[in-house]
Amino acid sequence: MRTLLIGGGHSAYFAANAIREIDPNGKLIIIEFTSERVDVLSKMFPFAELIQLEIDEVEEYIKGNGSILDAVITATESDSLNLRYCKVAKENAIPLTISVINNPLNTEILLNEGITYIINPYNLIPRELSEIFDAGTNVLYKFQGTEISMASIKISDEQFLLQLRREMAQSRDLSAIFVSKSGEITSSVEEVGLGGRAYIIGSEKTVEKVLRIARR
Amino acid sequence: MLKFTSGTAQLISCSPFYGDFLYTAFPNSIIMKISVIFPSKNREDYVKRAVKTAFKAECVMEVIIVDGGSQDRTIEIAKKHGAKVIVQSDLTYPGKGIAMRDGAYLSRGDILVYLDIDIKNITPEFIEKLAKPLINGEAEFVKGCFERSAGRVTELVAKPLLRMFYPELAKFKQPLSGEIAGLRKLFYKVDFERGWGVDVGLLIDFHNFRARIVEKDVGYKDHDMKPLHALTDMAYEVAGTILRRAVRDRKIDTQWAEKYLKEVRTLDLGIESGEGFA
Repeated sequence: MRTLLIGGGHSAYFAANAIREIDPNGKLIIIEFTSERVDVLSKMFPFAELIQLEIDEVEEYIKGNGSILDAVITATESDSLNLRYCKVAKENAIPLTISVINNPLNTEILLNEGITYIINPYNLIPRELSEIFDAGTNVLYKFQGTEISMASIKISDEQFLLQLRREMAQSRDLSAIFVSKSGEITSSVEEVGLGGRAYIIGSEKTVEKVLRIARR
Repeated sequence: MLKFTSGTAQLISCSPFYGDFLYTAFPNSIIMKISVIFPSKNREDYVKRAVKTAFKAECVMEVIIVDGGSQDRTIEIAKKHGAKVIVQSDLTYPGKGIAMRDGAYLSRGDILVYLDIDIKNITPEFIEKLAKPLINGEAEFVKGCFERSAGRVTELVAKPLLRMFYPELAKFKQPLSGEIAGLRKLFYKVDFERGWGVDVGLLIDFHNFRARIVEKDVGYKDHDMKPLHALTDMAYEVAGTILRRAVRDRKIDTQWAEKYLKEVRTLDLGIESGEGFA
């Protein structure tokens, strides 16, 4: 795979290492704006091709190389640039356009521009806090490429437990694992009691339905 | 429509609606397009007027709102009136410089005009006056100034330090003014300070690039004054910005810069009143 990574900052560091792991034989090209950073990055990522370009030149590069690129990942320190470059990548029909954004509040803006793969590194903050504080419900993960969702739910009343058992028996697109109050792990909904947590995974629609029941 | 002649190329001033058409119709013409950028946060009462007014100015091709994480309807109203919107990449306070940088990076115009969004008497002429020296080829960077005396941070902090380290810039009446215009390409070559130091930082950096800089009086500006605590923070950041650049440009060593900066903390900015100009 030929992947173009734009940006040489904090997010790009993690993105470059991840791409190396995922696709060790692929070609990774990294674009950075300053020569100083290009020098440092070329030592840090000897497996990648480093290119220094001006801000406005990047779009031309994407256009010129669009036909041979399989993926563009924008991971600059500015969401304005991430948006600009993603739009050009989309216009040039690059199969995968991914943006690692800096501010989650820009998610909707990028989605409205047709950028489908948006990585929000700050997603973990509310999710981890919700788990630590034993929140009533917590959406743990929604994978952007499919319609699969994962959530954790505190089993705090009998009524919900009954409904959850019914839903587990009826739904073909829902699976779960349970952790009892004392920390025991089981896959049987019959063995779980009040005070425990259910970790459910399934189609987004069904997970949403269970979450709605839990929030009542 | 205003027409200018410069060598064989015609400079055609255009309305936002005619820009692309004129470029196609007159391929030999150089059309200077303007991007107007408003850093903004919780300004739902001002955004409609600001965006609509900006679009009325000559040559404006886009209006950009860089939002600092508004809790009100600022973004919704801005979009409704045709502005491009992006939220600041980093919401750290103060993040004026981050907002200005993000605005520059999203923009497409040849000329960038930055304005405060809370100018109560904003008119298209504000923008046109700031952009005119650039369109006419008289400058690459324009600093706006207003019909009022300069504020406390300007007089007590910025000007003395500029006189010391960048005497060529001491002539500017309001070096901290946030109403500026410049060539987009040049904005891509400078380092944007993150906070309140951004305006004076840009002035010094454009000066270092040997850009032609003019100060343009844009008339009377009616806007809310800053709360005093913001002036104190601003004084420190402005001083820090000038001193960091003085160190970078080898006009002072780091130890002296730190000593100066400590002294800025002890400055009396006249804290008896609750608000003021920068």
